[in-house]
Amino acid sequence: MECAQVKQMISRYVDQDLDPQEERTFEHHLRACPGCQEAMEGQMAIHHLLGSAEKFEAPLGFATRVMARIEEKERRPSFWSFFTLQPAFLRAVEVAFALVIMFIGMVSGNLLVTGKTPERPVTVQESFSLDLFQATPPDSIGGIYVSLAGGNHER
Amino acid sequence: MNAKDENLLIRQFKAGDLSIFEILIKKYQDRIYNLCRYLLGHPQDAEDAAQNVFLKAYRNLKHFKPESSLYTWLYRIAVNTCLDHKRKLRPEPLKDESLVEALPSAEPSPEQHYQSKEIGRAIQTALDQLPGDSRAVIVLREIEGLSYEEMAEVLHTSVGTIKSRLSRTREELRRLLPGK
Repeated sequence: MECAQVKQMISRYVDQDLDPQEERTFEHHLRACPGCQEAMEGQMAIHHLLGSAEKFEAPLGFATRVMARIEEKERRPSFWSFFTLQPAFLRAVEVAFALVIMFIGMVSGNLLVTGKTPERPVTVQESFSLDLFQATPPDSIGGIYVSLAGGNHER
Repeated sequence: MNAKDENLLIRQFKAGDLSIFEILIKKYQDRIYNLCRYLLGHPQDAEDAAQNVFLKAYRNLKHFKPESSLYTWLYRIAVNTCLDHKRKLRPEPLKDESLVEALPSAEPSPEQHYQSKEIGRAIQTALDQLPGDSRAVIVLREIEGLSYEEMAEVLHTSVGTIKSRLSRTREELRRLLPGK
């Protein structure tokens, strides 16, 4: 057996992981090879050194401190959960969204009525007026449908 | 507490009895702290990391599958937590001289306690010089006494990889601990 192969087996020998046949071959090589013998003794010494290393215990009150941190985290909601879980915030978001949709609807409806942007600015009061409102402007999809269906359409 | 009792506790925890968790902390706190202590080298870092391990475990215990063992699951969280922690720290300069000085002499000393501390310091200095993965392998095997199979589960790799990594790390330690 080559030294390179034996050196790869040292760690398993230390852990008593070699099967009996491997172990016999390994020990036979070691008796004739001082280099591998030294490597094995070195790893064995480290194994015993680390095996006898001090075992540290958790500091006193460790579990209590962990539980206190857990309770603190449970009590204190995160930044985003504050917004997402508040009913008042949800209502405000809904109202704001509805207002935005209404505004877009009014502006686009006004453009459909005139076919172009108004020559003079339309005041807010006028924009709310139903006088300007057409349910199916002729150049809208609804208007085209009504004209195809033979319905009356007054501009 | 055997594995059956432990699974019962975990089921109670999942059912909503969160106070059960303190029992699990008390069962594993010494092993997790000891692992963190050797992976990080400093008592305060080890306590912070060990606390974080249990906080992560608390948040994720509901996803824990009872077919794997709780302590290998905790060890995996601990190794990942410590390696992340170590990566964030600035590496300390390598001082081989101090390592040689820290090693005890071959002659028996009357100050056994002092010598034990010196050995501990020498071990820690050598461990600190290893890459994170290698340090985890050697600590899990030599200090925590895990089997190859348990280590493979903790480090999420194969038994063959564990054996070859352990062999390389032991050779590296032999180089780092003069006289071994």
